[in-house]
Amino acid sequence: MAPSSSSGLTFKLHPLVIVNISDHYTRVKTQLNPPASICSSGNASNNGEAVFQQNPRVYGCVIGVQRGRTVEIFNSFELLCEPLNHTLDRSFLEKKQELYKKVFPDFYILGWYSTGSDAEESDMHIHKALMDINESPVYVLLNPAINHAQKDLPVTIYESELHVIDGIPQLIFAHTSYTIETVEAERISVDHVAHLKPSDGGSAATQLAAHLTGTHSAIKMLNSRIRVLYQYLAAMQEGDIPCENSLLRQVSSLLRRLPAMESERFQDNFLMEYNDKLLITYLAMITNCSSTMNEMVDKFNTAYDRNTRRGGRTAFM
Amino acid sequence: MEGSSTIARKTWELENNILTVNTPDSASDNIFYYDDTSQSKFQQEKPWETDPHYFKRVKISALALLKMVVHARSGGTIEIMGLMQGKTDGDAIIVMDAFALPVEGTETRVNAQADAYEYMVEYSQTNKLAGRLENVVGWYHSHPGYGCWLSGIDVSTQRLNQQHQEPFLAVVIDPTRTVSAGKVEIGAFRTYSEGYKPPDEPVSEYQTIPLNKIEDFGGHCKQYYSLDITYFKSSLDSHFLDLLWNKYWVNIFSSSPLLGNGDYVAGQISDLAEKLEQAENHLAHSRFGGIVPLHRKKEDESQVLTKITRDSSKITVEQVHGLMSQVIKDVLFNSVRQSNKSPTDSLDSEPLITS
Repeated sequence: MAPSSSSGLTFKLHPLVIVNISDHYTRVKTQLNPPASICSSGNASNNGEAVFQQNPRVYGCVIGVQRGRTVEIFNSFELLCEPLNHTLDRSFLEKKQELYKKVFPDFYILGWYSTGSDAEESDMHIHKALMDINESPVYVLLNPAINHAQKDLPVTIYESELHVIDGIPQLIFAHTSYTIETVEAERISVDHVAHLKPSDGGSAATQLAAHLTGTHSAIKMLNSRIRVLYQYLAAMQEGDIPCENSLLRQVSSLLRRLPAMESERFQDNFLMEYNDKLLITYLAMITNCSSTMNEMVDKFNTAYDRNTRRGGRTAFM
Repeated sequence: MEGSSTIARKTWELENNILTVNTPDSASDNIFYYDDTSQSKFQQEKPWETDPHYFKRVKISALALLKMVVHARSGGTIEIMGLMQGKTDGDAIIVMDAFALPVEGTETRVNAQADAYEYMVEYSQTNKLAGRLENVVGWYHSHPGYGCWLSGIDVSTQRLNQQHQEPFLAVVIDPTRTVSAGKVEIGAFRTYSEGYKPPDEPVSEYQTIPLNKIEDFGGHCKQYYSLDITYFKSSLDSHFLDLLWNKYWVNIFSSSPLLGNGDYVAGQISDLAEKLEQAENHLAHSRFGGIVPLHRKKEDESQVLTKITRDSSKITVEQVHGLMSQVIKDVLFNSVRQSNKSPTDSLDSEPLITS
């Protein structure tokens, strides 16, 4: 098992990368194992080896930005790899890099990705090959096996470290932790596709329900996590679990951070924003009322108007 | 934890008649398979030439949607554009992937420059090598802040495309409204050829158009029709998206849609004020008109006023949603102090407005 990295870099991964890799893998897998309805006689010759291609490995490059100690991985693209001698198609990589540079001039190649369940020895060759583009590339490994019991993302990020083993300096993979980073637009579209919300607005009631349901589930998650912590602490108090001081310190610092904002200025700003929204609501209600009033007056006029030139509209009784 | 949120979601879905697509299993991943022979056969048949309304639906993959929305948002207030790759399936166009084009968006540009063509060709070639076999099947661009519809330039561009590059689809995304409303603003369109008079269409969903764009919108809105959009994802995608939600929920608390979109909201409100003023002027003029049949005039006015009311309701509802989140966050994280000062008296900011 690869040891934990100690380079001190923080990694942030965008969900687009994950969806990209998953899509690449699904594509390759489906293309290699065509559905039964399509006759297989006209297919490529490598269908004969379809047996071992059940879980093809796909390879690609990840790009993003590195600012100081933070490495943010934004996007990715596919690469061609020679499966026999584990080398990447270099010219292809360069061409693709050029194309992506034109559209996203800020992004650099940060590393590469592949699918599989564990890092292998052969991956080191590819890793070393990339080292001339980026001195310390990252290796993102995605496990495509669907395991519903697993609650964690099956994505691991490895870094390479130089260790002296048996007197020989060798590069080995060391896995690092990462966080998922997102922008608001990304979150909304992921949410949209994940939960297949109704695409049109629906009535205001539906929108309200959708909004509150989202908030509700977030609060539920928060609650469950806090509960876990609470039970852990209770167990520690009972003596079931040995006291772990570092954890206690962390919990205590977390608690001390509440209330999150207490200054006068915050209260003022908050109330001002609150009042602004109430004002908007008020204005909207006035508009609504005047519009309804207008309609009513129109209808009244139509029903009771005796002076129209069109002649002969008697008042309703 | 997982149980009650699923129950809540199911209840909501039931109440709102949501047709849940069956959770994709590996059998439905068949959509990812690209069958060259049937695609080329379809291309030769060209059923769209006889029926201008042939394509009725669009299926967009999760990946394509994500890429397009992120690209659109990264452009800020500048329009961006890109191409979509996919295939056709009967009367549906399937969009599998999208990629950005290195063009500066200005509404006066009809064709992308030669640069972009080169880019497109190279990109398609490299993609084919890497296993993405689909062809370019449409283009997308963004209308940041002013809604999903085709402008005059867009209509002529799309007409040209539909003459030479069939089957082709136009997609418009509004990233600003997406963030502000909390749901994806996207529209898919196909144009009619010149002179074709469409049969009376059902009224499309109303959307707010800012005053300075309303002429462009009105002048061309009969020349194209919109298609229904549905989304799909692979089994692996849905697995990941579910897991992602486990990490995502934090963002509901850490971000606020109100903060990022202050400019946009101010713009909306001032636009609304202008519209109101215009309606009022119109009314003042008509008082001296007289000869024109009174009934028609009244209809116009009331229509305008109804539209304005709907716009104002929409803005308000979004604002109130944002406010609700803020208040909830405040209660959660700030009311640790046991003081008698309760920062939230009541959540009475429930929208009293019905659409």
